[in-house]
Amino acid sequence: MELVQETLRYLGARGDVPESLRREASETARTLQRALSPRYVYRLFPLRPDGDGFRLDGAGLSLYGNSVCTMLSDCDEAALLLCTLGAGFDSRLRALQARDMSKAVILDACGSAFVEEGCDTAERELSARFPRRFLTDRFSPGYGDVLLSLQRDICALLDASRRLGVCVTDSMTLNPAKSVTAIIGLSDRPQRARIRGCACCAMRETCTLRKSGANCRL
Amino acid sequence: MNFPFWTPGEPLLLDGAMGTVLQERGLPPGGQPELLNLSDPELIFDVHRDYVDAGSRVVYANTFGANAHKLRKSGKSVGEVISAGIGIAKRAAQGRAAVALDIGPLGELLEPMGTLSFEDAYQLFREMAVAGAEAGADLAVIETMTDLYETKAALLAVKENTALPVFVTMSFDETGRTFTGCTVASMARTLEGLGADAVGLNCSTGPDRMSPLLRELSENTRLPVIAKPNAGLPDPVTGRYDLSPDAFAEALRPCLDCVSIVGGCCGTSPEYIRKLSALLSEPRGRAPRPVQLPPFVCTPVAPCRIDGVRVIGERINPTGKKRFQQALLENDLDYILDVAVTQEDAGADILDVNVGFPGVDEVSMLPRVVKKLQSAVALPLQLDSSNPDALEAGLRVYNGKAAVNSVNGNPEVMERILPVVKKYGAAVVGLTLDKNGIPKTARERIAIAERILQTALSYGIPKEDIWIDCLTLTVSAQQEQAAETLQAVRYVREVLGLQTVLGVSNISFGLPNRGLIARTFLTQAMQCGLTLPILNPNQRDMMDAVSAYRVLSGEDAQCRAYIGRFADADAPANTPAPGGPATIRDAIAKGLQAEAAKLAKDALQERPELSIVEQELIPALDSVGEAYGQGRAFLPQLLSAAQAAQAVFEVLRASLAERGGASVRKGTLLVATVQGDIHDIGKNIVKTVLENYGYEVIDLGRDVPPEKIVEAVTERNVRLVGLSALMTTTLPAMEETVRQLKALPSPPVVWVGGAVVTPEYAARMGADYYARDAKASAEIAKKVFG
Repeated sequence: MELVQETLRYLGARGDVPESLRREASETARTLQRALSPRYVYRLFPLRPDGDGFRLDGAGLSLYGNSVCTMLSDCDEAALLLCTLGAGFDSRLRALQARDMSKAVILDACGSAFVEEGCDTAERELSARFPRRFLTDRFSPGYGDVLLSLQRDICALLDASRRLGVCVTDSMTLNPAKSVTAIIGLSDRPQRARIRGCACCAMRETCTLRKSGANCRL
Repeated sequence: MNFPFWTPGEPLLLDGAMGTVLQERGLPPGGQPELLNLSDPELIFDVHRDYVDAGSRVVYANTFGANAHKLRKSGKSVGEVISAGIGIAKRAAQGRAAVALDIGPLGELLEPMGTLSFEDAYQLFREMAVAGAEAGADLAVIETMTDLYETKAALLAVKENTALPVFVTMSFDETGRTFTGCTVASMARTLEGLGADAVGLNCSTGPDRMSPLLRELSENTRLPVIAKPNAGLPDPVTGRYDLSPDAFAEALRPCLDCVSIVGGCCGTSPEYIRKLSALLSEPRGRAPRPVQLPPFVCTPVAPCRIDGVRVIGERINPTGKKRFQQALLENDLDYILDVAVTQEDAGADILDVNVGFPGVDEVSMLPRVVKKLQSAVALPLQLDSSNPDALEAGLRVYNGKAAVNSVNGNPEVMERILPVVKKYGAAVVGLTLDKNGIPKTARERIAIAERILQTALSYGIPKEDIWIDCLTLTVSAQQEQAAETLQAVRYVREVLGLQTVLGVSNISFGLPNRGLIARTFLTQAMQCGLTLPILNPNQRDMMDAVSAYRVLSGEDAQCRAYIGRFADADAPANTPAPGGPATIRDAIAKGLQAEAAKLAKDALQERPELSIVEQELIPALDSVGEAYGQGRAFLPQLLSAAQAAQAVFEVLRASLAERGGASVRKGTLLVATVQGDIHDIGKNIVKTVLENYGYEVIDLGRDVPPEKIVEAVTERNVRLVGLSALMTTTLPAMEETVRQLKALPSPPVVWVGGAVVTPEYAARMGADYYARDAKASAEIAKKVFG
C-alpha cells in the first residue's frame, strides 16, 4: 500500500484525504501493478579520479561538478541505472485522458511513484549482489549541478533504446514519460545520506510538491 | 523476391552481432559504430569477413543507425556513411555472400508516443533506402524494431523507393509484446499485408525464450520466418551474454522446423555463426506452412481475429447527426474521439470511420481522424469512404491492418479502390450491388459477391481479407427483402466461405419498437452466418443479443463473457439514485456526470442554455475551485467537477446544434506546450478546466514551435495564449514564443506555467501572467474575457 501513499503524495493530497480519492488511488495502483512492471537495466563501471571529477573506466565518460565529487568521494565504482514503465504506461495514460481527466491525473501520479519503486528494487538487487559494499544515495541528472545532458550519455551506455525502448529528446527529456536515469556510487565504507531532501535539490525553487508543503523524499 | 546466394524456401544463414563484437575488440559502448565506416573501415571489414568465413550468406552492412536524425551531430551525411558501409561489406563478401542495407530504429519515438511524425520518419528512412540501393545493396533488412508504426514507415520507404527485397524483424520480450505493446500476430499480419518478403524476431532475448514466439509467428504468416536472437541475457556487471556458441545453436535447433532464416544478434560472434552453419547443414523436416490465414484486422496492441461474431461500431458517421456534422466542420476532433471511446468502452471490436460531409475535405480529414483515434483508442478501424484518395491517405497513416468499407460490383469502383486495398494490406467490404442498384433476389446478390471475390483475388488480395455485405433493406418498405438478405448471407458464409458484413439498424426504420425488430433480425442474421454486424454498440440490448449468441454458438467458452456481462445486472446503470443531487450545481460539485447531464436536460425545458451556464455551471466550478485553492479539495476532484460540467455543456451544445443556435462559448483561447517539451498532461489539465468554464480552447498540442503558435494566433485572432514548459532546457523556447507573440501588431495576452516556471521567470520573459495551476489559469481567463 506504499504505492497508494506515494500516489497521494504526488497528487499533493495531504491532511484529510477524502475516502473516495483514497479508494480511487488504491484501485489505480492495483490496476497498474497488474498491467505492467517497472523494468530496469544497470551497469557497473570502475571510477578513476580525473581532475575535478571521475572517469568511468571503459565507458568513455567522465562526471564532473560539486555534487558528483561529494557523492562519489569515497567510491571506486559507480552503477548507471535506467528504470522505466515503458510506452505501455504512456498509452494507458493517453487513453485515460480521453476518457476521464480526473482518473488520468491519479494514474499519472501513480506512475511517478511506481517508477521510483522500480528504482528501489534495482537498488536492492545491486545491494544484494554486493553485500559487503555500501551504496550512496541514488542521484539523477538535474539534481544539484549534475548535468542534465548526462541523460543522453547514460542512455547510450546502457543501450537504452534497444534494451528498454527509452529515447532521449534534444531537450534531454526521457521518453516514455515515466523513465528515470540515476547514478549510484559503491564504496567499501558506509555512505551517509546526502542528496535526499529539498536543500540539495536543483528543483527547490519551482517544485510543486515543495510549494504545496510536501516533498518527494528523494 | 530475388537476391544472390539464396533460393526462397531454402535455409539461409545470416551474420551475427556487429556492435558487441566491436566492443569485444576494444570499442567503448554507446558510441556511433556507423562512423567507423569512414574512420576505421578495416575494423568493420574484418568483422564482415570473419562472418563470411564462418558461413554467413548475408552480411548486414554497418548502417543500422545511419539515419539523418542520429548522424546530425556527426558532420557526416547519410549518403557517405551508407555508401562506405555497403562498400566495405561488399568488399568483405567478395562474391561469397549477399550484402544487406541494415535499417534500425531512428532513435526518436514516433507520434503519438513522441512527436516525430509518420511522414518525417518515412523521409528519414527513404534517404537511407535510396542511399543503400545506389551503393549496391542486394537487399534491405529492417531490424530491432519495437514500434510497428515506425516499421511501417521504413517498409514503405524501401518498397516505394527501391526494388530491394525486404526482411523485417522486430524485437519482442518474453511476454510476447514489443516495448510499445505490439503483438506477434499484429506484426505478422500487418507486415505481410504491406509486402515484406520475410518476417521474424531479433534481439531482446536468447533463442530459448524466443522459441514459442517464433512458432506463433510462423502460424500467422505465409512468409519465411527469421530468427536472430541474442546470445542469452547480458550480465549487468560485466555486460557479457550468458549463452555459449554451442548452447546458442542447441537452443535454436527445435525452432528450425518453422524458421528458415537464422543468425545472431547482441552477444554473438563468428563462432556462433559457425555453429549455426553446422546446424543448418543437418537434414530436417519442416512444419507445414499456412496457406490461408484466419480473417484478421488489428492495431499493434489489439489483434482482432475474426473467428466468431465481431461487432463493428457505426457511430463515427455524420449522416443524420447534427452534432457530429458540427464537430467535423469545426475540426473538433476531440468530439470524434469521444464518440470512438464510448463505443470501445461499450464493447465494439472494430470501429467504422466515416467523415464524408459537404464542406469537409475527406482526403485531409480522414488521416487526421485516424491519427487522433489511434492516439487513445486501441480498436482496429474500418475506413469508410468511396474516395480512393481519402482511403489511401487514411490507410497510409493507419497503424496496423485496417478494413476498407467499401467496393461494390461495379468494375470501375473496384478498379479504383482495390489497388489501394492491396497496397496497404487491408481487408475490404464488398457491397452486393452494382450499376443497376441493389438486386431483388439473393441469387443475383450472390452473383455479385462472386464477381467481387474473383476480382479482388485477381488483385492479389487474399481470400480472408474479402468481406461481403449482402445489404439490409427496410422491412416496412420491402418486407420480402429481409429473407432474401438472410439467404444471401448464408450462401456467402457457407459456400463462398467469406466473412459477412451487415448494417443492422436500417431494418426497422418506420416501425414502432424499432429495437425489437433490429435485435430479432440481428439474431436471425448471426444464425445465418453474419460475422461482422455493423451496429450501435451503445444500445445495450443489441450488444446483449451478440453476447447471448456467442454463448449459444459455443464461441463464449464456459459462458464466461456472458456471465461477466450480467454479473452486476441488478445494479442500476447510470440512473440517478433517489435522494441524489437535486441541482445541477450540486451534481457538478460532486462530479456526477450522468446526473448533471440529466438535470441539465430537464432544466432545458424551462430555461435557455446561457442561463444554465451562468447560474449553475460557473458558480459550481467556482466553489470547487475555491475549495481546491484552500487545499480542501484536490486535483482529481477539481477535474471530476470539470468533467461533470463538460457533460452539461455537451447537453447544451447538442441542444443548440439541433436548433442551429449560436455557440455558448465565452471566448477563444489557445494553449500549447512549448517546443522541445513532449509531456503535456499539465497543459491538458488546464484545457479540461477552461473548456468547462465555457471557453473555446484551441489546443496546439506539445512540442510546438513558436512560429506555429504565432501563425495560429494571427489566423484565428486569438486574444489569450497559455504556454507550458516542463524542463529548464525548454524555457528558452517559451521565452522566444513570448517574444514573437509580443512583437505582433496587436499582441495577445500571454500566461505561462509549468513545472520549471516561476513568477519571476514569467515577468522576466515578458508574459502578462503566471499561473501556478489550472484554477489560477481559469481566473486569468475570467480577467481577460470578463
